[in-house]
Amino acid sequence: MYLSLNWLLEFTPYSGSVDELSHALTMLGLEVEEELEAFQSLRDFRVGRVLACRRHPNADNLTLCQVDLGGEQPADIVCGAPNVAAGLSVPVAPPGTELPSGTRVKKTKIRGQPSEGMILSEKELGLGEDESGIMILEDQASPGTPLREALGLADRIFDIGITPNRGDCLSILGIAREVAACYGLPLTMPRTELQEIPPVCTERVDVSVDDGGLCPLYQAKVAEGVSIGTSPAWLRYRLLAMGQRPINSVVDVTNYVMLETGQPLHAFDLDRLAGPAIRVARPQSEREFTTLDGHTRQLSPDDLLIWDAERPIALAGIMGGLDTEVGPGSSRLLLESAVFDPTTIRKTARRLGLSSESSYRFERGVDQIGSGLALYRAAHLIRRLTGAEVLQGVARSAPAPWQPRRIAFRPERARGLLALEATDEFCRATLQGLGCGVEPGENGDWTVTTPSHRHDLFREVDLIEEVARVYGFENTPEELPRVAKSLHGEGKIPEKADDAFQKTVRHWAKGMGLQEVMNYSFVSSADLDALNLPRDSRLELANPLTSEQDTLRPVLAPGLLLSLRLNVDRNSEDLHLFEVARAFQLDRSLETTSRETTLLGIALHGSRNPRNWPWSGETADFLDLKGIVQNLLSTLHLGPEDWVEQTEHPYLDPCAAIRIGQEHLGYAGELSAEAARGYDARHHVWLAELDLDRLQTLARSVDATYAPWSRYPPVFRDMTLVAGPDLAFEKIRRQIEAARSPLLNDFMLLDIYQPRKGDNRNITLRMVYRHPEKTLLAEEVDSEHGELGSHLLRTLPVRFP
Amino acid sequence: MASSALQAFLDKLQQLESAFEAAVEEVEDPEELESIRVTYLSRRGSLVQCLSQLKDLPDEDRPEAGKTANRIKQRLQDRFARIQEELQQKRDRARRQDFDPTLPGRSPRTGTLHPVTLVSDEICSIFRSLGYEVVLGPEVETDFYNFEALNIPQDHPARDMQDTLYLSDSIVLRTHTSPLQIRTMQEQSPPLAAVAPGKVYRRDADLTHSPMFNQIEGFLVDRRVSMADLRGTLAHFLRRIFSRDIQVRFRPSFFPFTEPSAEVDISCVICSGKGFSQDGSPCRVCKQTGFVEILGCGMIDPEVFKAVDYDPEEYSGFAFGLGVERVAMLKHGIDDLRLFFDNDLPFLDQFRFYPAT
Ligand SMILES: [Zn+2]
Repeated sequence: MYLSLNWLLEFTPYSGSVDELSHALTMLGLEVEEELEAFQSLRDFRVGRVLACRRHPNADNLTLCQVDLGGEQPADIVCGAPNVAAGLSVPVAPPGTELPSGTRVKKTKIRGQPSEGMILSEKELGLGEDESGIMILEDQASPGTPLREALGLADRIFDIGITPNRGDCLSILGIAREVAACYGLPLTMPRTELQEIPPVCTERVDVSVDDGGLCPLYQAKVAEGVSIGTSPAWLRYRLLAMGQRPINSVVDVTNYVMLETGQPLHAFDLDRLAGPAIRVARPQSEREFTTLDGHTRQLSPDDLLIWDAERPIALAGIMGGLDTEVGPGSSRLLLESAVFDPTTIRKTARRLGLSSESSYRFERGVDQIGSGLALYRAAHLIRRLTGAEVLQGVARSAPAPWQPRRIAFRPERARGLLALEATDEFCRATLQGLGCGVEPGENGDWTVTTPSHRHDLFREVDLIEEVARVYGFENTPEELPRVAKSLHGEGKIPEKADDAFQKTVRHWAKGMGLQEVMNYSFVSSADLDALNLPRDSRLELANPLTSEQDTLRPVLAPGLLLSLRLNVDRNSEDLHLFEVARAFQLDRSLETTSRETTLLGIALHGSRNPRNWPWSGETADFLDLKGIVQNLLSTLHLGPEDWVEQTEHPYLDPCAAIRIGQEHLGYAGELSAEAARGYDARHHVWLAELDLDRLQTLARSVDATYAPWSRYPPVFRDMTLVAGPDLAFEKIRRQIEAARSPLLNDFMLLDIYQPRKGDNRNITLRMVYRHPEKTLLAEEVDSEHGELGSHLLRTLPVRFP
Repeated sequence: MASSALQAFLDKLQQLESAFEAAVEEVEDPEELESIRVTYLSRRGSLVQCLSQLKDLPDEDRPEAGKTANRIKQRLQDRFARIQEELQQKRDRARRQDFDPTLPGRSPRTGTLHPVTLVSDEICSIFRSLGYEVVLGPEVETDFYNFEALNIPQDHPARDMQDTLYLSDSIVLRTHTSPLQIRTMQEQSPPLAAVAPGKVYRRDADLTHSPMFNQIEGFLVDRRVSMADLRGTLAHFLRRIFSRDIQVRFRPSFFPFTEPSAEVDISCVICSGKGFSQDGSPCRVCKQTGFVEILGCGMIDPEVFKAVDYDPEEYSGFAFGLGVERVAMLKHGIDDLRLFFDNDLPFLDQFRFYPAT
């Protein structure tokens, strides 16, 4: 909210510097987000005195003026306005300046005559609507005076961030109250004195409220004989400085008083009200209503309306109706000052997408006592500015008048929670300064009553915060608490991969040469379609920002592939990426409807090794991916795992499922050619996704036990088997284990030779024989090796070369 | 006068030595040398063969033949050893000549951690060292955990503070990591202290807002916890993560789940709190104020304690929350929020280091 410092000073005699005030407000919780100069766009304009005028020799409607701008020589300015005349004081834009419209003023020639600047109209200055002629300055300020000074426009504006709890500070008066309390200054209330004439307002209008919960207070005054016109300059300028557009004297007064006191007001044309009567009630059913901005709104029975005797005339607290709007021809007014239920106003404003200065304040709570003050303040100004007569008294309905809240307050508790030396005296003075009543009681238990403008003070802790605010948060001492812990939860294994486990995996991945990416959790449903992912288990956003981000990803691949595409498109094609993140699937049995799984995703694309010498530049393939996964499993002391070929995977082809026993850990494979094209892939894309929640559970159940090993020398024997191309290596491995050779200590694959794809493969294995308690003799090994060979020939479709 | 047999034996030795000399004269590499050794000096080599003929000589010739044979054998062996050493030296010289320690190493691919991970780990480590536990929770949350239990009722203006992405009326993408306060307090009993890092979501996207970002929530509950504990903890943390001489400013603010609530500013790390950069231009990061907002915090609101059945008369506590990207931007001088989620390799490549903790 904007705060004009000139306006503020009308209510409290603050005499310190602007910088200090800015700091003090911020430290009170009223954060000054920006400091602005009022009418910054007028800063370069000057007062000029027209010394002489003569007709332009080449144009009837132009005047050549000599204008004194305070310099040594008067300036020649060509002016097209009919009202320019010698002796006038006028606003001048010198060459090199810029008009609020953006037009640059230049030294130029107009129809052959030199012109050094521009004499401006009110409209060109952005100060009003008058464009019939140049603006004539009434004060005879000396030529050359900055225009803002001459018009009294110089002001400093603070843009203050008001937190939702401080509705009372959505007004100049509200902020003045804080400044006065903080500095111990007096607070002057705005002038409300009013000469009223009979009859009383209730003679003209009946006011009734159906439900005090929705409208605790409704007050109205009647003004008659109004002549509506343009507001005086001081009022218009002040609204402009606060960022509001002047409209007419009555509307301007209601806006002015709202900014001043925080109470939104509305003026109805009394002659257009049926009855005349006012009733505050919800509609019985859905219906239409046209607000004064000309839009027809669909109303629901949950909205709150102001009615006359026949029909709705305003959307309570949000916007008046088109039919009863005050206009230039209005002569009798009904001025409304009411308090509405914040929640009702908020629901309607949000449903209709219709937020106004008025609804903004009602949502945050309006002051019942201040409501009457605002009504009289507005009546006072309307009488002053429009010559209206104001009728006596107030037409009102007050079904739920404000009651002060009584809150128990213990200064000792405040000192304990705040760790501040706030004495009893300080607490009392602070609370009283903020408008609270304080009754000290027995045993240090005080009773504090809250003022009507503070809707945020309910509990002791709210009062404690007030004490801290005024004492200054800055004075809080610094202590480092001892962190005590309870015995709860020791040794409990979390269901989800915890932070420590994720950290282990991330650091392992970095060590593997993988680069961590972080993608949005949401992707487009089209991305999921492209990967053939099922539709029925998707979690879709009800109000996505864009269709690019409308569905939570059920696997990490869509995000990893977006990273891949972005990099390939930017010419980085050697990608070894990983991501640790949650994936989401619909599961209605869970309270959040979302089954979240912590996944590790890996994507390989392009060169296996760095491209520089001495590496060679082969492209990464499945065995690179598998090696990385195996490295992780052995790092976690897990395995042996099974790699089972899968033909049904939605986007991996070929694909292997990775399992340990019955536990499914994830998949590894190649992104199908069809999907890869959509991601601009230049090489095969190898993807793996592993369930880290399950890996953590498995890893936690591993007992790492030391095993003694044989100190006797190993004996090596190689064996080559010729096998068909579709004999899985796993089958050979299983048969070697099935042979249960007591001397076979280990074996390794030495080489695979396959002349061409589809040919038989020569598979060379190295067997390692070793005895735990003695050195083996060559004959013992030869016999064992021979038996193993015959076992393999017997059980597998293989032969020796 | 030597017998002809003796003469023939000596001649043979002589020839053998000449042949050996000729062979070693030309030798270039160790394999050649080895084959010379095999030819002449091994068990089956020509020298041994030649010496084996010694026994066929007449007895009277043997002493002289033996003496000469031994001398020649010794000579050949010495010669061989010398050649071997020369060759070794030559090879060593050549190797040293080829040695270029400035060639690129066969360095394996370097992995990188995302800057959010680096900073988040660093923050969590600081709190872990203070005795805080690290807790994680769901990113899809119920209205109860994300709002209601945190004293943010339906239709309250406080909901405007966070634009929410909904899955349904009562299910949201969590807008902050504060639900972990509730979940942790429900699961454990006081005293407790924890930090909760994780992704959060807002319906907001522009130059300074991302629909997804990372937050760390921290909270401590015990008897007699005060604002001084909160301020001390945060000042300690901020000095460790930024620098020892950073200024920390505390000012009142509003969060529905803390009372009193405060916003914490630190002196701008980009312009060292001066408001202007080196070249005199206004600092864009702190907008000339010399301070930047870094986190929100406060004393846990009694309403929150009531939602988890803690007695607010017995226990008090504090909570704070901060944005990880914001810290990363200040720490590493990153000036565009979008860089974090583009995953552009030239960006990621710059984070090869391990967290400093
Ligand atoms: Zn700065």
